[in-house]
Amino acid sequence: MIRFLQACADGLLTGALYALIGMGLALIFGVMRIVNFAHGAFLMVGMYATYVLFDLTALNFLPVPVYNFIVGRFGEHGLNPYWGFLPAGLFMFAFGWLIYALLIQPVRNRSHFMQILMTTGIGLILTDGAQLIFHADYHQTNIDLVNRGVHLGPFGANAAEVLSFVIAVAFVVGLRAFVVRSRTGQALRAISQNPEVAPLMGINVTRIQGFSFALGTALAGVAGGLLLPRLYLFPGVGEDYTTKAFVMVVLGGMGSIEGAAFGGLVLGVTESLTSLYVGNKWALIVDFIFFLLVLSFKPSGIFGRQRA
Amino acid sequence: MTPVLELDNVTKRFGGLRAVKSVSLTMNAGEILFIIGPNGAGKTTVFNLISGFLHPNEGTIRFQGQDISRMSPHRAAQLGIGRTFQIVKPLPSLTVLQNVMLGAFMHTRSPRQAEEASAKILDFLQMVHLSKFLASGLPLAALKRLEIARALATRPKLILLDEVVSGLTTSEALALAALVKRLPEWGVSVVGGVEHVMQVVMKIADRVIVLDYGAKIAEGLPAEVVKKPEVIEAYLGPKFKELTQ
Amino acid sequence: MSLLKSWKFWALVAATLVWARMPWFVQNNYQLQVLFRITLFAALGLAWNLVGGYAGQLSLGHVAFFGIGAYGLALFHQIPLPLWLSLILAATVATLVAGLIGLIAFRLRGPYFTLATIAFGEVLRLTAANLDVTGGAIGLTVPSLFHGRTFWRQFYLASVALTVIAFIVNYWVSRSRFGYYLLAIREDEDTASAVGINTARSKLWSLLLSAFLTALAGALYGSAFQFIIPDSALTLEISVQIAIITMLGGAGTLLGPIVGAALLLSAQEVFKNQFRESHLLIYGVLIVVVVLFLPEGVVGGLERLFSRKPRAPGSSKPQPALGGAAQ
Repeated sequence: MIRFLQACADGLLTGALYALIGMGLALIFGVMRIVNFAHGAFLMVGMYATYVLFDLTALNFLPVPVYNFIVGRFGEHGLNPYWGFLPAGLFMFAFGWLIYALLIQPVRNRSHFMQILMTTGIGLILTDGAQLIFHADYHQTNIDLVNRGVHLGPFGANAAEVLSFVIAVAFVVGLRAFVVRSRTGQALRAISQNPEVAPLMGINVTRIQGFSFALGTALAGVAGGLLLPRLYLFPGVGEDYTTKAFVMVVLGGMGSIEGAAFGGLVLGVTESLTSLYVGNKWALIVDFIFFLLVLSFKPSGIFGRQRA
Repeated sequence: MTPVLELDNVTKRFGGLRAVKSVSLTMNAGEILFIIGPNGAGKTTVFNLISGFLHPNEGTIRFQGQDISRMSPHRAAQLGIGRTFQIVKPLPSLTVLQNVMLGAFMHTRSPRQAEEASAKILDFLQMVHLSKFLASGLPLAALKRLEIARALATRPKLILLDEVVSGLTTSEALALAALVKRLPEWGVSVVGGVEHVMQVVMKIADRVIVLDYGAKIAEGLPAEVVKKPEVIEAYLGPKFKELTQ
Repeated sequence: MSLLKSWKFWALVAATLVWARMPWFVQNNYQLQVLFRITLFAALGLAWNLVGGYAGQLSLGHVAFFGIGAYGLALFHQIPLPLWLSLILAATVATLVAGLIGLIAFRLRGPYFTLATIAFGEVLRLTAANLDVTGGAIGLTVPSLFHGRTFWRQFYLASVALTVIAFIVNYWVSRSRFGYYLLAIREDEDTASAVGINTARSKLWSLLLSAFLTALAGALYGSAFQFIIPDSALTLEISVQIAIITMLGGAGTLLGPIVGAALLLSAQEVFKNQFRESHLLIYGVLIVVVVLFLPEGVVGGLERLFSRKPRAPGSSKPQPALGGAAQ
């Protein structure tokens, strides 16, 4: 029983991070109806960005004088990922906006087919680009926080996991507040609910869409940064997460940010329990099967209002 | 004689909203019936119910005596119910002729026969000169005719024309209406849905049914119905009702 | 229409004969392998074209059928069953699985459908990697359909034959009522239903046909390389590759998949000598370029340039409905 609850707790800790990823995708899909198959790649880029801030020697692909200047100025070791995720997130925001302006905006109104292809293409470029720059080596960050434990009664957790859980929850709550209270957030919801009428209300649709794409990307990047201490970093690390993100968004109902967050938690717990009772290898398969089940029986998701 | 179409206390709910409330109607073969009503009255919902795109929550729909309440759209089409859509849906990368052939294919596998059948229908709708053009980029009047042609090619017994003249100029609308009036020559009964263009309704409808907020509020000959106070009130609001007293 | 009098028919026959003779012009087995892969992917593209091109359903799970073809051949032969029977059974199993996938996935539209196909492909890959009977992550040996010194040449000719068959299927579909129905489904499913088309059934049939051909190609591939591993033969990457080939060449056209396969795989070969592993980058860039500038693909774009279907005078320039050209 204890093991069951422990697994649930672990699942929730991971699930909060997943929720970040899912919410990012829900923003992009909910507001823009853009099917973003590059979401996992963005997570990967965020992870690398955080890593570079942590270990500046990773920049050795830069031309020698530039590299020497940077290392000379800042030294070889930089920010702990638990701080580094913030600048990485900002970087990802700008990066996301750039991608939106150059590549997403032209296909904004085309068919889903074209959008899926475009974002798949972007994902491939990012993944292989990362491989070209950083090579396929696995990198790892060693932070002693990862090795410390926290105990609450019979339950134990990794201190690092708890920290990222707290940060993730802060983001989730903050995002929800932003969407509900701020003017931009309201504009976001307006576009999400009625894309044809929104421009008539004086909303600059293009700019808001760019903003939400950038924000969604930034969230993926932040999640990547928070995951950095716990995973091996390599160019393909983000691939599974695109699918996981879609599972969450579908679970929660396309367009529902809270739903996606909930979906993230559900996914985290399901994976954790699967690992406990069936075995680690099957966790990902369970994700997919779960996904197919939801799609088959309740395509509009648990909170969703729209038809699949 | 079995009526070609019967709606028996049909109700359709969307969540808490009743879009169609206990609507009943009977229609005989060869009639031209028009359903009119202000925006949101439920006309398109009724069309979706008859053509199988939606299913009623209560009540039954019978087509030539057969219960079609739970039928899927393609089955309804195969049984003989054709329809056009309020927002025209041409298949853009096909030619006008190919669009119509799609309907004709319901009765033949051969592209050649489908082509011949389609040519006849395009001739009736005075569109033969447009046969080889791509459907995308045609003006609205032609697209409205294309909708009818495609539905007619399936050789329906009942055709549902949803706002078939809306968006057209008066002369275009009257020209098209003249053709609609002739549809019974093809063995088709017609149900039209219209919000405004009353001239057309008066000219070609045999009977009119008025919907308001999903309920039937009047039925009868066109000239009678438009004078009824409840109809005027539905369209223009309660103030105008007093004017007619 | 008399096929035998059409110059295009004879041009195609001539081209096919030349293509079939290629092994005799090539110096070594490696180059023959490359030709084999190009031809096989042309067949895969033509098979995918039925679902993705004509019916407009973006399936990114076709690698599932590819894999079932290869694994099926190996497993059925292990029982033991004769080679050619195993081949047919493997393709049949793939078709049955396609039926199952179709029943679930085709109820979904647009991106949901694509996601479901991705999920199916991945489930298959992970299952194959985790079960012992399929050899786990290490994979299985696949029996060779051909033997002897010229076995690569024989495999090559088999791939040409498969491509021809796939082409003929495409041709028949494009000229038949079934093809029209698929196009209608691609453009607007509601309209298709309204004219009496059973959209679920038509989509399913296109998938069954497509799966059968794809499985044959997969079995051929596995047999030629005599080995199959989940991480190289059951990946999402292959599904994407098949889709890209067809899109690049022109989805919904007859020659598009062939042109796309030739272009893409040749480019891959060229780049392999320049950069070690960056073929994904090329794909990515190509996809982006095609989506932005040439959504109908090479052949589709050419067709539109020389199009015999004028637009009505005074009409506005049409937007491509899907980015894939119709007949």
